[in-house]
Amino acid sequence: MLPIDAAAHSSRWRHRHPVDKAVLGLGLTVLAISLPPWPGAALVLVTALALLLGPAGVPARRLWRAYRVPLGFCATGAVTLLVQVGGPEGFVSLADGGPVRAGELMLRTSAASLGVLLFAFTTPMSDLLPRLVRAGVPAPVVDVALVTYRMSFLLLDSVRRIREAQAARLGHTSRAAEWRSLAGLGATAFVRAFDRAARLQAGLAGRGYDGTLRVLVPEARVSVRFTVAGAGLLVALATLTFVLERPLS
Amino acid sequence: MHIAEGFLPPAHAVAWGVASAPFVVHGVRALNREVREHPESTLLLGASGAFTFVLSALKLPSVTGSCSHPTGTGLGAILFRPPIMAVLGTITLLFQALLLAHGGLTTLGANVFSMAIVGPWAGYGMYRLLRRYDVPLMVAVFFGAFVADLSTYCVTSVQLALAFPDPSSGFLGALGKFGSIFAVTQIPLAVSEGLLTVLVMRLLVQSSKGELTRLGVLVTGRQAQNGTEAVAR
Repeated sequence: MLPIDAAAHSSRWRHRHPVDKAVLGLGLTVLAISLPPWPGAALVLVTALALLLGPAGVPARRLWRAYRVPLGFCATGAVTLLVQVGGPEGFVSLADGGPVRAGELMLRTSAASLGVLLFAFTTPMSDLLPRLVRAGVPAPVVDVALVTYRMSFLLLDSVRRIREAQAARLGHTSRAAEWRSLAGLGATAFVRAFDRAARLQAGLAGRGYDGTLRVLVPEARVSVRFTVAGAGLLVALATLTFVLERPLS
Repeated sequence: MHIAEGFLPPAHAVAWGVASAPFVVHGVRALNREVREHPESTLLLGASGAFTFVLSALKLPSVTGSCSHPTGTGLGAILFRPPIMAVLGTITLLFQALLLAHGGLTTLGANVFSMAIVGPWAGYGMYRLLRRYDVPLMVAVFFGAFVADLSTYCVTSVQLALAFPDPSSGFLGALGKFGSIFAVTQIPLAVSEGLLTVLVMRLLVQSSKGELTRLGVLVTGRQAQNGTEAVAR
C-alpha cells in the first residue's frame, strides 16, 4: 500500500463521509487558487497545516515526505518566473517583479497542495471510489478504477520483488544490463497484470460474475455539523483575506 | 512532467478541463460499449490501468545521469488505443494526484489533455502512419513512443507559457523559456522512452503473442488475409 493511502486508513477522520472531508480539503484548495496569494493563500496554508497536524492527526514526518514532492515541483516551476527573455537588458535577464511573482506562485501551489493532502491523508481510495457512482460517474468506469486501484498494489509489489531479484543477479551493474532489466521489468508487469486479470475473471465467473463488481462500503453519513463548520471556516478565511488584504499589502 | 496542484490560474484550470472533457467522454462511451459487449473486459481494462500506473512509476536512466520516469502514453496507446487511454490516463492521473501527491486535482484537466489525450493520439497517429507504409513493427513502436513523449512535453510547455507569459516577450518568449528547459531533459528522455518501449515490446512479442493479438497489435494469418481481401474488394 502507498504511504498516503496507508495513513488514510488509520486516520482519525477515516470514518467520516468523504463529502465532509471534500468540502473542507478541496474547499481549501479552491480558496488557495482563487484568493489573492497574499494574504489569502498564506492563511489557507497555515489553516490546512494546523488541520492536518491537529484534528486530522497526520504525523509530521509522513506529511513532510508527501509534501516535499509537490514542493519540489513548485520550486522548479517558480524559478522560471525569475528571468525574462529578450528586452533591453539582454537575451536573458532578471525579470522585473520576478521574485514577487515566484513567491506568490509558491504560496498558491503549496497551500493548494496541502488542501488536497488534507483530503488524501484522511480518505482511503476504497471509501471514495465506490461512492463516485452516486456522483454521476458511470459504473463501468468506477469498476475499472476499482480494479486498477486494487491491482496496482499487487503489481507494485511484484515490480519491487523482481527489481530485487534482478539486482541480486547483477542486473544493474552496467548501463546495458540496467536497460535489459528495465525492459524485463516492464514486460513482466504487463504479463503479470494480464495473468492476474485472467485468474480473477475465472474466479469471479465461478461466483456468478455478471460484469458488476459489488464491494462493501463502510457505513458513513454526511455530518451536517462538520460540513457546515467546514464551510464556515472557508467563508471566514475568504472574509479575513479581504479584510487584511489592504492593510498588509 | 505533471503540472503541480494550484500551479495554473483558475480560468486556465477550468479551460483545460473543458478542453479535455469531450475526449474523456468519448473514451468513457467506448469503454462502456466494450464492457457491455464483453463484461470480462472490466478486469482486463483494470489490469491495463494498473499496468499504466506501474509503468509511470518505473525509474528510467537518463542520458544526463539522473533518473526520470516514462510517461507510458505511447505504449499504452499502441496497446489499448487512444480513446481507452483517455480514460485509463485520467484514472492514473487521479491516483497519482491522491496517492503520490504528483500532479493535482485543479490541474487534472491540463494534465489529462497533455498526457492522456495529445500524447496518446500523437503517438498512435505516428505508429499507425508508419505501419501503413509497412515500416517494421519495432521502428514504428520507437517513433510512436518518442512522439507521444515529446508531444506531451510540448503541450505542457504551451500550457505553462499561456499561464505565465514572459513579461518582456509574452507568450512566445515564455514558450521558448519552458520549451528550452524541457528540450534539454526531454529529448534524451523521449529517446530513452522510445528505446525502452521497443525493448518491452520485443519481450511481449516473444512472451505474450496471445494478448497482443487479442489487443490487435499483432495480426494473425487469417486476419491479415481478411485485411488483404477487404483491401482488394
